[in-house]
Amino acid sequence: MPTITFITAGGKEHAVTAEIGRSVMEIALEKSIPGVVAECNGSAACATCHCYFDPAYSEAIGPIGEHESDMLDFTASPRRPESRLSCQVRVTDTLDGMTVCIPAMQ
Amino acid sequence: MAHAVPVVSDIAFSDLLADPYPIYKRLRDLASAVYLDAARLTLVTRFDDIMTIERDSETFASSNPGSLVNKVMGHTMMRKDGEAHAMERRAIEVSFRPGTIKSHWAAQFEAISDRLISDIESQGEADLFDALAAPMASLALIELLGLKDVSWQTLARWSQALMDGAGNYSGDPEISTRATDAAAGVDAAIDAVLAWHRQNPNPAVLSSMVNAENPMNPEQIRANIKVIIGGGLNEPRDSILSLTLGLLSNPSQLAEVMASRDLWPLAFEEAVRWISPIGMYPRRVTRDAELSGVQLRAGDQIGLCVGAANRDDRRFENPDSFDLLRPKQPHLAFGAGPHFCAGAWVARQMVGRIVVPMLFSRLKNLRLRPDEPARIHGWVFRGPVSLPVAWDV
Repeated sequence: MPTITFITAGGKEHAVTAEIGRSVMEIALEKSIPGVVAECNGSAACATCHCYFDPAYSEAIGPIGEHESDMLDFTASPRRPESRLSCQVRVTDTLDGMTVCIPAMQ
Repeated sequence: MAHAVPVVSDIAFSDLLADPYPIYKRLRDLASAVYLDAARLTLVTRFDDIMTIERDSETFASSNPGSLVNKVMGHTMMRKDGEAHAMERRAIEVSFRPGTIKSHWAAQFEAISDRLISDIESQGEADLFDALAAPMASLALIELLGLKDVSWQTLARWSQALMDGAGNYSGDPEISTRATDAAAGVDAAIDAVLAWHRQNPNPAVLSSMVNAENPMNPEQIRANIKVIIGGGLNEPRDSILSLTLGLLSNPSQLAEVMASRDLWPLAFEEAVRWISPIGMYPRRVTRDAELSGVQLRAGDQIGLCVGAANRDDRRFENPDSFDLLRPKQPHLAFGAGPHFCAGAWVARQMVGRIVVPMLFSRLKNLRLRPDEPARIHGWVFRGPVSLPVAWDV
């Protein structure tokens, strides 16, 4: 299983093994990583699972959907080029070693 | 060893309607789930317990064979789970996207709000329930759905009749007849415009329904339009009033938000936390489950009191006060999980960015009337039912 490292806004690192096929948001909740709220539980309706993804993996993650991009305009912490909704990113083998930074506010 | 659900029987239904918050506090401190005789329902009132439930739709289902909502409105997505729910929800999502709201709906909401405020501007006083909040919410919903030739009063009447019918547990025949009549009125209004929407794709909900990748069939359209009418009118109406009331009751916070426009979104979120327009919604327990030390049984009907969770003092400091500068953290006014309010971004834009800011900038020295205090009512649905105000002309 690939390993993903979450880094909280306070700088604490949590390296976890992630089950392939789940969303990064689901992994964060399952491993009780603080700062990923996910109010809508993956419906891409709330923008509270916003994270900053390692730009080196942007191709492996895949492109941003139109709806997801709309939602990212309304995140509580600033949108950056590496912003994604973690509920829309599926875990694959190619994400092994990726870091995911959690913003200060959701 | 989990305990059985405790029972509380010394509370009158009228107390719940008048002010549910002291009752909620008592229930929160008693147990994770409490059967309240007055409501004839097991109520869940703590923030964390509701979050737990909303993350597990297999144990806590929205589908409900005996649901009155289904009887009155048809089989709506609100009472479906899993893929059946997700597919219908995807069909309407495009109408509610933040991008669609910005590019299309915002200008329409602004025009409606401008017209309604212009109508009362020279009067110097009004009850904002009838003068602004109710017509605003109704006219916006008519546009959003894509209905034509329906007055705001008619849509408001349909909405109330459908909701009353969905809550008609005593089987009152008069309420039942009014709900059936309203349902027939909605069906006719849909029939009048559906072909047009099919031929002229546009951002309205009816257009999204017929032109989606997986279009809804006529039965799904009728049921889901009814649930949006029942559930999409009083929430923006009530949050316009709660936000206005919260600010008028707290002059220093009003001054802050008037000085910095960026605070409006926080003010809106605080208003719906403070008085959540939907205070309770139901779920059905599908298998025996323990909830924070209380044993729930398969078949139990439970009510998730988000109005109580949003005042949970385990989570919010001074939960009963309106404080738009409190540390920002999620609330449950829009629910949680797969059924998270589809209209959340519409409400945020309409109420928090357009109507209430426009109200305060246009009506000078807007103030409450000490001789006629605001009245707030309800628990399943709660909000100001009267908000008399005055301003300088």
